[in-house]
Amino acid sequence: MSRQHDRSVPEALSLQGWQRLSPWAIGLLLVTTSVSLVRQHMPLLAGAGAGLAMIERVGLRETALGGLTLLLVAALASLLYYRRFRFRLDGDVLIIQKGLFEHREFKVAARHVQHIAVHQPAYMRPFGVVQWEVETLAGESSSISLPGIHRELAEALGQGLKGRQEAPPDAESSDESVDAANVRAPVIRFAITPGALILHGLTSRSIYVIAAMLSPLARPLERWVHDHLPHLDLRGWLPPSPALAIGAGVLALVILLALLAVLAAWWRFHGYVLREGDGRQVQASGLFTRQEQALTLSRLQVVEWVQTGLGRLLGRGYLICHQFGAMGGGGAAESRRFLVPGLAANQGKELTATLWPGCRMEAPLARVSRLYWRVVFLRLGVGLTAALLLLVGLLGPAGLSPMLWGGMVASLPLVAAGVAQLRWMATGWAREGAYLRIRQGLWGQRTSIFPLTHLIAISVQWSWLQRRRGVVTLHLALANGGLTLPYLEEREALLLANQLLASVEAAQAA
Amino acid sequence: MSFTNLSLDPDDLPALEHAPLTPVSRRLAPCQALQRAGRWVFLVMLTGLFPVQHEELAQWQSWAAAGVAGLGVVAIALGWVEARRRAYGLREHDVLYRRGWLVQRTQVLPLARLQHVETLSNPVERAFGLVRLACFTAGGRGADLMLEGLSAARAEAVKQHLLARLEGTTRQPESLTP
Repeated sequence: MSRQHDRSVPEALSLQGWQRLSPWAIGLLLVTTSVSLVRQHMPLLAGAGAGLAMIERVGLRETALGGLTLLLVAALASLLYYRRFRFRLDGDVLIIQKGLFEHREFKVAARHVQHIAVHQPAYMRPFGVVQWEVETLAGESSSISLPGIHRELAEALGQGLKGRQEAPPDAESSDESVDAANVRAPVIRFAITPGALILHGLTSRSIYVIAAMLSPLARPLERWVHDHLPHLDLRGWLPPSPALAIGAGVLALVILLALLAVLAAWWRFHGYVLREGDGRQVQASGLFTRQEQALTLSRLQVVEWVQTGLGRLLGRGYLICHQFGAMGGGGAAESRRFLVPGLAANQGKELTATLWPGCRMEAPLARVSRLYWRVVFLRLGVGLTAALLLLVGLLGPAGLSPMLWGGMVASLPLVAAGVAQLRWMATGWAREGAYLRIRQGLWGQRTSIFPLTHLIAISVQWSWLQRRRGVVTLHLALANGGLTLPYLEEREALLLANQLLASVEAAQAA
Repeated sequence: MSFTNLSLDPDDLPALEHAPLTPVSRRLAPCQALQRAGRWVFLVMLTGLFPVQHEELAQWQSWAAAGVAGLGVVAIALGWVEARRRAYGLREHDVLYRRGWLVQRTQVLPLARLQHVETLSNPVERAFGLVRLACFTAGGRGADLMLEGLSAARAEAVKQHLLARLEGTTRQPESLTP
């Protein structure tokens, strides 16, 4: 971290007066907003050459003038935003006033804070400025950020909120004891190695995210190569056999995506260190954008051990620590959460035992009823048959050779049976003391581990078939979303449901 | 972090499958049937009046509309039967709601998780004197439990009970049984 802008470290008490963003925040706001806009609209501008077509239609000079005007307006707006933005700590409440056209005031009580994150992109480092973000129990949608304050101020703010969060309401005056607890040296729980980082890049889901992000650029790139490099006889480079050419093309694409995924892992998790201290886990990582995230253990709701298909082969996975909110969002959203990357299976177990004391992940997982296999097989069989009939309708029976049709019909039950088998084998659960462990997946697997007391709500579902066969499906609502345990024997499912409810209600009563 | 490991005797646990449930208002079935009928009429009109350019397909358009209408009648009838089987329950520490006919689902929300409650009603529901009660928990993006088919008075009573529990005061749930 850059320490060249050494200011006097503001004391927590000085935060009681109104504070402003760093003056550098004006320029940084401009850069951050521009980067965000470009990132969001890149596919729209680049996709199918829409951006180039627009520039050709409007004219290069007019576009440049328009851009300059927009930049001036944005600079003025940033200046006004900076002048209106102020914040302070009032007791245990962080007050933020901001707004360009509409003045808004936010109040965040320290006891409602579940997550504090500090981001420092490369362009902020020379100025010693960071983006500080706080998230409340309402989840991601409730996050409030200070877009450009000095690092020391950010640390003081974090400490100020944390100290008050941990202090009992009637012991506000006993700050000395809190400070004494705060000075305990943090313990390094995990530090990533270059090899683990590469393996994480290869085995994480970012390869799919990158493929999805780059897909809109494929057509413009193809057109550009066709227009600007006509002398390249690409067909001449390809192997003569179509099957070999397709295979080589797929292999080249996979290698490119894997390379990009490894680069993305280096970008996000370079120098990853996880430290534990004062009931908090703090992680710091990032090649250009340094990120620090603090997770208060008392706010931790669910720990998820994730292994992709390739990750299972290579014995690698990652842990995601879930708090309230942050439901859904897929792989891109997952990377923004509190994630411990590049773990070997035993490291994952050890870290889980640190986060959930007493949970060793040693109890074998119980399988769900074999009836689940049949149901998945039938559903898939019906779906694949419908897809095949649709294909026949579109192409006509003469559209493909009889051999190919026959092969597709013969492989249909095999595919359905294989997928059903994988799904059934991946689904399992185990109760281990006060914790419940639920695994789901297909080839890749996700195992959620949480204390019984962290259940939010539960649903018990019986279809007519399930009623006849004496099985039920449990839907568990947790802080980070839902989990399903399909086709459990009715007796054990109801017992589990009653135990979960009793745990929640007994914990509340206690 | 401190964490308690509670010992629970499985035989002594309150069983959700034996929890007494109260049927929702009988007006829910006609209310939902009316709302569903409106949606299906729109679909039937769309199917019947959509300008089809292909002459051969246009000949079948009225049959397609009739088919959609038939599906609508079946869906409304199934919905009617389902609405008549819905029920809710209040226990000391949780709220239960049972719905579904072919696929039955009993949802349980521990009161310890409740953050706030909300009552909602559209014009059709108001015409039938019905109110929906939405129960929200922390971090959720929508209502975690929606009690449909409560009369306005019953919804208000349940809401007051839940609010009282939220505020930490106790009220006897027996007083809410219809």
